[in-house]
Amino acid sequence: MEIGIRPIVEGKVTGSVLFSPSPISFLGDVDSETGKIIDSESPIYGRNLKDTIFVFPRGRGSTVGSYIIYGLKVNNVSPLALVAEEAETIVIAGAILADIPLVDLPDKDLFSMIETGDTITIDTSERTLKIQKRKK
Amino acid sequence: MIMFLTKDQEEMLSGMKGEAIAKSMELIVKIGDVYNAEQLIPIKNAQVAGVSYLTVGEPIFSFFELFSKDAVKVKVPTWLNPAGMDMEKWREMKISEDFAEKQFRIVKFYEGLGIKPTLTCAPYLIGHTPSYGDHLAWSESSAVSMANSFYGARTNREGAPSSLASAITGLTANYGLHITENRNPRILVNVKANLEGFSDYSALGYWYGKKFHGLIPYFVNIQKLNINEAKMLAAALAASGSVALYHVKGLTPESKSIDIENIEEKIEFTESNKTEVYNYFNQINEGADLVAIGCPHASYEDIKYIFDTLQSRQMKKGIEFWIFTSSKTKTSVDTDSLLTSLKSRGIKVYADTCMVVSPSVGGNFRNIITNSTKAAHYLGRAKTTMVNLQSLDSIMKEVTE
Repeated sequence: MEIGIRPIVEGKVTGSVLFSPSPISFLGDVDSETGKIIDSESPIYGRNLKDTIFVFPRGRGSTVGSYIIYGLKVNNVSPLALVAEEAETIVIAGAILADIPLVDLPDKDLFSMIETGDTITIDTSERTLKIQKRKK
Repeated sequence: MIMFLTKDQEEMLSGMKGEAIAKSMELIVKIGDVYNAEQLIPIKNAQVAGVSYLTVGEPIFSFFELFSKDAVKVKVPTWLNPAGMDMEKWREMKISEDFAEKQFRIVKFYEGLGIKPTLTCAPYLIGHTPSYGDHLAWSESSAVSMANSFYGARTNREGAPSSLASAITGLTANYGLHITENRNPRILVNVKANLEGFSDYSALGYWYGKKFHGLIPYFVNIQKLNINEAKMLAAALAASGSVALYHVKGLTPESKSIDIENIEEKIEFTESNKTEVYNYFNQINEGADLVAIGCPHASYEDIKYIFDTLQSRQMKKGIEFWIFTSSKTKTSVDTDSLLTSLKSRGIKVYADTCMVVSPSVGGNFRNIITNSTKAAHYLGRAKTTMVNLQSLDSIMKEVTE
């Protein structure tokens, strides 16, 4: 399955999906030292962002969240790429500083078809995102 | 790249002027592209958040390394948001040596960039007053709203990194609230409730923000709006609803020029709506241990009001009373004359920080009374802290004898 996307921070990368159905506040929800989701109310509480393709609706909360994204990179626990329904300034600034590929505005309803554990390939030069469903 | 850039801007982006400037430009241009900006515009000044070690944590130091590679300086006058402690009286606030050392390093880094360590969320109270039509890059959400609403200046709600990037380049992307058409209101609010104290303005803002996230309101029937009332309204709208601009009929500078033809909805703010907000923040049954005033930072008039209301009364035992302000306000001659007297009656005035960004408030107190819905909102998020929202008058009656 191939989906069109808007590239914001460039890159070509393949990885396993971590999917959060709810918006994320990088400040407060994420531990920048370990990459773990520490917000106990999050549906992905306890999961780790490290080396995943992190798929989420949008950022929320404090704009200091951008520095948390940068911290993930410095601590080698960052996601391989970020896929948002619609990126906003917190996520955009964080991804640029950390140089983590970021895409948004999927042209199909990505969020109803994606699950944690699926494999995604992002290629910003092609403006595409390919999904390979996880074997069940 | 969709945006038009001048030759000079292209050079800044390409790295010819160093890595820090290139990263800053990349940040501004990419955010601009996402919001379909056609060009960059010069800003007059910037206000930068991301100062308290409590909120930025360790990642800020790696970020500073990135920016320290070339000796950049800010291009426009730039001010800092509050830190996590009073830079002088941090020991009295029970801040740890470790926290203080990190906080000093953070402020020193910003000073090295040429940023003035004003450490306040309300720069407009200490002489940095925006003018009508100025383009700015401010990041503290209540200050953003004050600049837009009370002064008619133009700034988006910048992030901590994007405001710094704008300070370093002197530029921002022309989108959002920099554009006249985007400043028109969407919701008309007929204010039927009486707005008496500061906390009533705060309640109105909180109520609206919860209901109409991000939509610009046009308030009618508000009788007066001084700077201290305006900042309470601004902070509340931003905290509950990320609202960065409001208009008040007859009282805010753009209220005559805005287009009110496209109002989508008309609603009323009644006494019972006002009571709802107070009830929502009525979590303490007994035994409040702190009164926290100064969100946004207290002005001289705020401090004087507390002083006048206090008269000869003393604080009751078992409860502390902290006022947060800027060091400039605190050390002003007018305020200075009140400090000894306030201190003798058990009231502490701290500068450079506030109840929301200092670990010494949420960490050391469990039941906190405030007159600000923004403070109540953020303090109440920690499950260990309970809050009450009350008017200043009622607080003064309750906690003094």
